[in-house]
Amino acid sequence: MRPYLLLAPLILLGILFLLGVGNALIQSLGYIPAFGMTDLTLEYYKQVFSNPTLIASVKVSLVIAVVSSVLAAIFGVLLCAALVMNGYVRDRIVQAIKIPILIPHTIVALFMIMFLSQNGLLARILFHMGLITAQDGFPMLLYDTNHIGIILAYLWKEIPFVAYFVLALMTSINSTLGEAAENLGASGIRSFFHITLPLCMPAVNKALLIIFAFSFGAYELPFLLGATIPKALPVQAYVEYIHPDLRHRAYAMAMNGVMLLITLGISGMYYLLSRKTERMNGEQRG
Amino acid sequence: MELSLKNISVALSGEEILDSVSLTVDDGAFISLLGASGCGKSTLLKTIAGIIAPSKGSVFLNGVCADHLPPHKRGTVIVFQDLRLFPHMTVAENIAFPMKMRGAAREEYVRTTTELLEKVQLQGFERRRVREMSGGQLQRVALARALAANPNVLLLDEPFSSLDENLRQDMRQLVQRLQKDYKITTILVTHDRQEALSMSDKIALMMDGRILQYDTPENIYDTSVSRTVADFFESAPYIEGVVRDGIFKCEIAEFVVDKPDGIYQAVLRSGAIYIDEKGPIRDFYVSEIQYRGEDYKITLKEESSNLQLETYISSPCQFNVGDMVCIGLNVSRVLLFSSN
Ligand SMILES: Nc1ncnc2c1ncn2[C@@H]1O[C@H](COP(=O)(O)OP(=O)(O)O)[C@@H](O)[C@H]1O
Ligand SMILES: [Mg+2]
Repeated sequence: MRPYLLLAPLILLGILFLLGVGNALIQSLGYIPAFGMTDLTLEYYKQVFSNPTLIASVKVSLVIAVVSSVLAAIFGVLLCAALVMNGYVRDRIVQAIKIPILIPHTIVALFMIMFLSQNGLLARILFHMGLITAQDGFPMLLYDTNHIGIILAYLWKEIPFVAYFVLALMTSINSTLGEAAENLGASGIRSFFHITLPLCMPAVNKALLIIFAFSFGAYELPFLLGATIPKALPVQAYVEYIHPDLRHRAYAMAMNGVMLLITLGISGMYYLLSRKTERMNGEQRG
Repeated sequence: MELSLKNISVALSGEEILDSVSLTVDDGAFISLLGASGCGKSTLLKTIAGIIAPSKGSVFLNGVCADHLPPHKRGTVIVFQDLRLFPHMTVAENIAFPMKMRGAAREEYVRTTTELLEKVQLQGFERRRVREMSGGQLQRVALARALAANPNVLLLDEPFSSLDENLRQDMRQLVQRLQKDYKITTILVTHDRQEALSMSDKIALMMDGRILQYDTPENIYDTSVSRTVADFFESAPYIEGVVRDGIFKCEIAEFVVDKPDGIYQAVLRSGAIYIDEKGPIRDFYVSEIQYRGEDYKITLKEESSNLQLETYISSPCQFNVGDMVCIGLNVSRVLLFSSN
């Protein structure tokens, strides 16, 4: 009995969560009796994939998620490799890279606005150095359809995340198999690309999936730093949700449904990757 | 290739692990680095391979200082205790790895991989994954991979300790045969004295980060430089005595020796004594008989003291526990160490 008792809070939270998700899914199928909507239909999902505004939102979110997660993975691995190769593994530097991970996204957005807007710090510095002559000489990084501000903000947070996520595994592989590879005649660089990196890829991919899922579904950064049109999917969903015509909620819920499906898919991949990592670690021990 | 270490000291995390180790291994020789667990054997191998930088001293390869050669250019290849095979590669890919790294052509490394697999009796295992192999097979893959790197010096870190006895014997033979075939200068790290004595041209006995003696197996066993060394090979009882005018005298015996006057400890190993009706040493009785298959181990005790000796006799054993016996002394096999 006792174990179940201890699990009770978790189960309770789980039930609440599932109720919420279930409710959203039902609403996304057009069933909201409170507004007199009682017919089950896939119409709202169809709209998400055919209405130009909504398609544009899906695209925006995909672009942001793909670019941020891939770039964060690449630079995060490089950062991690630099830490491992230079033996900074138990160093203050490692403590320092935890800071961006801990800072909330909203704060990061404010940093970005302070530094990167057309009247931000960077623009002012360049102006005083005489490198630009007017405010609009500074490139439009925020609120633009190039999404650079959002992506930079994600990178600032997620590159350290990837590095930290992969650090322990890379350290251990580098000091055993990486060392063996060098002993067999591989230079440090080749040992990294032939042995250490491939064996770290499951962890890198896991980190990438986490970032992808997060940046695809997160609201703050696109809301604070994004373009007015098109909006990222979560922002658009929110717009639909607070639409004066309450029946628009079904669109919001359909968008949430899309995000949910993609996130579920990613969770599935994450699970498979975890199993693969476990198997491989098992081998190394065995 | 001749390997020479000059006064190598290593400190790790501020702790001195190796203390002024000097050692020369002749070209093509097979030596053992023998010592208890934790005495610094693996550290010494890693230092030779350039993985650990010594705080003092230098490594010489064929007389040339190798201190500035990075690990991947030294050609001092370690077969690690934990093997460190690459789990994301097949057996063939593992063996081909060092050849690819030095830029060998595809046909060359494919051919050499097949040859090496034959040498280690694993024909046809090319496409196997590392996880699909047994411990003994993995050991041989690791050996083949090391050979594929064309080592100047082969460094084997306790390669047999994880195998069961039968496999261990096979692997020893395999290693010795390959070492002779390829004439590779080889250091075998082991904590097994029998293994060291039976396989090596020379043995370096290591304790607490120092080399206590470096000599041929016969010499290190028969003319150990100290009681510590002698005890490492066979812990045996000793008796204090005095040498005067070329004669050693102790409680139970006296005999001629070639030593200066002084107080000595005589170590009485099992090979130095034998049970003999006409032997000069009396007052011992049989206190224990242990059957060991090929022979019996007999423990002898002196009635009046705690002195306890051991010897071996071949089957059949005509003694019983409690029998009084006389003991003969094989004077040339008694080790004498000065007490001061
Ligand atoms: N990285 C390290 N930092 C500090 N001490 C170490 C390190 N590696 C090994 N040691 C210590 O050095 C000693 C020798 O280790 P090792 O060379 O592995 O011994 P052996 O191979 O003879 O068993 C041990 O006491 C071990 O605890
Ligand atoms: Mg060791």
